[in-house]
Order: sequence, then C-alpha cells, then structure tokens
Amino acid sequence: MRDITLGQFFPADSLLHRLDPRVKIVLLIAYIVLIFYTGNILSLLFIALTVLAIVLLSAVPLRMYLKSLKVIIIIVLITSVLNLFYGTGEAIFQWGIIRVTWGGIRNAVFVSVRIICLILLSSALTFTTSPTDLTDAIERLLSPLAFLHVPVHEIAMMMTIALRFVPTLLEETDKIMAAQKARGADMESGSFLHRVRALVPVLVPLFVSAFRRAYELAVAMECRCYQGGDGRTRMKQLKLCSRDFVAMAVTLAAIAVMVLLNTLVTL
Amino acid sequence: MEFITVQNVFFRYDTQEQEGTTEQYVISDLSMEIRRGEFVAVVGHNGSGKSTLAKHLNAMLIPVSGKVFIDGMDTADERHTVDIRRRVGLVLQNPDNQLVASIVEEDVAFGPENLGIDPAEIRKRVDDALRAVDMYDYRLNAPHKLSGGQKQRVAIAGIIAMRPDCIVLDEPTAMLDPKGREEVLDTVRRLNRDHGITVVMITHYMEEAVGADRVIVLDGGSVLIEGTPRQVFSQVELLRRHRLNVPQVTELCYQLRACGVELSVLPLDEDECASMLREVLL
Repeated sequence: MRDITLGQFFPADSLLHRLDPRVKIVLLIAYIVLIFYTGNILSLLFIALTVLAIVLLSAVPLRMYLKSLKVIIIIVLITSVLNLFYGTGEAIFQWGIIRVTWGGIRNAVFVSVRIICLILLSSALTFTTSPTDLTDAIERLLSPLAFLHVPVHEIAMMMTIALRFVPTLLEETDKIMAAQKARGADMESGSFLHRVRALVPVLVPLFVSAFRRAYELAVAMECRCYQGGDGRTRMKQLKLCSRDFVAMAVTLAAIAVMVLLNTLVTL
Repeated sequence: MEFITVQNVFFRYDTQEQEGTTEQYVISDLSMEIRRGEFVAVVGHNGSGKSTLAKHLNAMLIPVSGKVFIDGMDTADERHTVDIRRRVGLVLQNPDNQLVASIVEEDVAFGPENLGIDPAEIRKRVDDALRAVDMYDYRLNAPHKLSGGQKQRVAIAGIIAMRPDCIVLDEPTAMLDPKGREEVLDTVRRLNRDHGITVVMITHYMEEAVGADRVIVLDGGSVLIEGTPRQVFSQVELLRRHRLNVPQVTELCYQLRACGVELSVLPLDEDECASMLREVLL
C-alpha cells in the first residue's frame, strides 16, 4: 500500500503533457459532447479515430489505457448485449424470445464505441496531468463562480490538502493495522460481516489521528499567514501559449467535421 | 527595546478552567528578551510551558496578562498579527502535519502566496529558501517520499521563504532519527550564522542547547535560570532538583569530580571532555 501513485499521473514529455490543464479540461468536455453527438457510422468512425490519435499523442504506454479499459469491459459488454436484443425493426435472427435486428447491432456498436472513447479520453487527461495541476485548473476554471458566492478557493484548498494527506493516512492505516494485529486482531478470516467489524479498531484510531493532524495543520497554516483566498497570489501562473491555441483550433475543426458528417451523410 | 520582549506573561488554556484546575497557569510571570541575530535555546521538561511560550512569540496565543512585543509590536493588537507571523516564523514538531501541498516547491511557496507577493518574486524566494536548507534538488518531489529530516527542512524552507527576521522551532527534532536531527540542527545553525536569522530553538535535548549563544531553562511556566550554556550547565545540582539533566559529558565529569578527580570546569561536548580527561590522565 506504501507505493501508491496519486491519481494516475504518468510523467512524460508529450504535447498533451505540456498543454495548459485548463485547456485540457475544456477540450475534454467538448470531445465528450462530440462523442454523444455521433449520428451515423461515419461520424462514429471519425470520433473513434480522433480519440485514437489523442491516445497516441499522449506518449503514455498503451497498456496503461488497456488497464483502465479492463475495469469497465463488463459494463460495455452488458450494455451492448442489452442493446443488441432490444433493437427494433426486422429480425435477422430469431430464437425463442431472442431477436437480433440491424437496429440492435447498430445500437450495440454505438454504445460500446462511445463508452470506450469516453474512458480513453478521460484517462488521457488524468495520465497526462498531475493532480496538483488538475486542482489548480479546476480552481481557475470555476473562479467566475466566486461571484455567486461559491467558495471556489476553499474547495480547491480542500482538494489540495486531501491529495497531500492520502499517502500519509494510508501509511498510518498500515501502521495501525500492524499494531492491532500485534495485539491479536484477526482481520483476514471469518465472514464478510466479521471482517467489517474487525475494521472498527482500525478506523477509530485513524479518525482520531486524522482530526489531530487537521488541527495541527490548521495551526501550521495560520503560522504561515494563511487568511483564506483574498489577496493571495500564486507562484505558478497558467498562461495560454501557441500550442494551446493549436489544440483549440484542431478541436474546432473536429467539431466542424462532425457537424458536416452528421448533416450531409445519412447512413 | 530588544527584538522580542516578553514581559510578566501569565497564560492558561480555557479548557483548564472547565476542568477546575484554575489555580495552575501554564505560563506564570515569565519575562525574557531575545536580541536580533541571537541563537537562543529554550529547554525544560514536558509541561514546563515551552510550546505554549513558542505560540506566544508569533501571536498564535495571546497572554492572559502581561505583554509580548515583537520588534515593538504588541502581539495582542490584531492589526499586527499577520506582520508578526511573517517576521517570526514558527516551525512545529511534526513535519508531516505542516506541509500543505503535494510538491515540495509548491509547499514552500504557500507562505509567500499567502502574503500576496508577485509570482516572479515568489519563484526567486522559493529557490533561495530551498537552497538555504539544501533541498533544492528535491524541489519537484512529493513530501511523503522524503525522510523525516528532509521533510522538516522543507518545513523550515516554507518559513524562510517568507523572509522572517526570526524563526522559532518547537522541538523540531523530537520525531526524527539521529541523522535527521543532525541535518536539521546543521541547517538551523547555518541559517543563524550565514543569513543572520534570529533563532529560538525549543528542545528537551540538552545536547542541542550546547551550541546556542544563550540557554533559557523553563520550569513550571517561568524562567529557572538563563545564561551561556557553560553558566547554565555548570549548575548541575539546581537542574537536578528540578528533574532536568545536563549533557551526558557534563554529567560524567560532574560525577568524576564528586569522586575526587580534579576538574576545574565542566565540559559541554565530547571533544572538550576528551581533552580534559587526557590532561587528567596523562
């Protein structure tokens, strides 16, 4: 448990890694919309190829993507099978209540390609952006909401601190579990309920210690002149540069192609 | 007026009142002064009010009665609070609980960011601070991958980056292994010597107090004795009466003297002790 990687960040030096995290988040949303905007096979093929190009651009080993796909493969299978049988139109194959239609096959293909593209794209974002950059980008993207009295800075600060303390608390869990085992606690055998009950002596000290850490951290933050978000500056400034504009232009072009494919081609 | 002036301070926590121990002050009638550029060690055993004193020096706690002045500013005056905390940085015991960000350099930048300093200037201060504690090569690491001594040095860098006049360290080595302790002590000594930063080091390791310009011994919330390490640690009987010990080599020579070995002064560190014993033996 000691050696966890935060998020799924895979450090490398690719175009995707160097893009401004804000741009990456906005573009991800744009592409997600595009994925669901596919109206025919041609546009589906186009978006699939675009996603594939993005994946290749990320300089992250393909097995990492396969690993993230493995988790959802069951969902893809179930939804496509369901879609396959609930299609309407003329049956091309019938056996009892099982009825396969062209419409069903089409739906199954669409759903599975869409889900796979979705996962690949969001993985591409988390693989190429460090958690700190992500929090930072979210804070800045949400900053207009501060006018609506949404505590944007506080939310971002909470995310930063949570990320910082995940490994610390995991390490602590390890220690407490070892300490309880040394006192004879049995956490690996017995029924499910028994094992859940065995976690209580781990969780109680963990919570107590988390609260103590929180208190000490608050003191330390005050010692470092923390007074909330007002009047605060940031060391790292995010600045859009030419590659960000290129990425945006490419995305706009992709949107245009999609609109054309959807309206001109009927398949 | 000296840089830090503590005048007849009394303090007790609110919770004590509820528990009915109203008579007992954590700090009672404590007065002391700390000059600019000095390296002062504050020693005392658990419950002597050391940590409570530390929190008075940067306005985290305000005296119940009495005054604390930092460069002439009264800590009870809220208008000065931020300025006082910038000038007097406090480093706490547990390095894990003082680091905010998951990247070393971003953590060091936290203080200057809070002060609203210009980004380019923050970058410079962060680099300077990391070099001053010899952690520049680790600037892009995650804090949880560092050793205890390294984490504590990052915490010190986070304070240094605010360009304070003084740093107060509240038992900074208590949770570290011997190697980490040495790293942190070296860093603190260097900051005092090369950067002219006033240091108030709170500790219960008497060995750590030996290198200070001045030692202040706290007992029961007030000053028991103060003076140069040699003046303080020669008073072995007095310290013992208050359940405090002296550095091991001092203790050794004190015992030898009690057995009739002729030693004029008591040594403070191993080298001094070795040469004194050599003189006696040869």
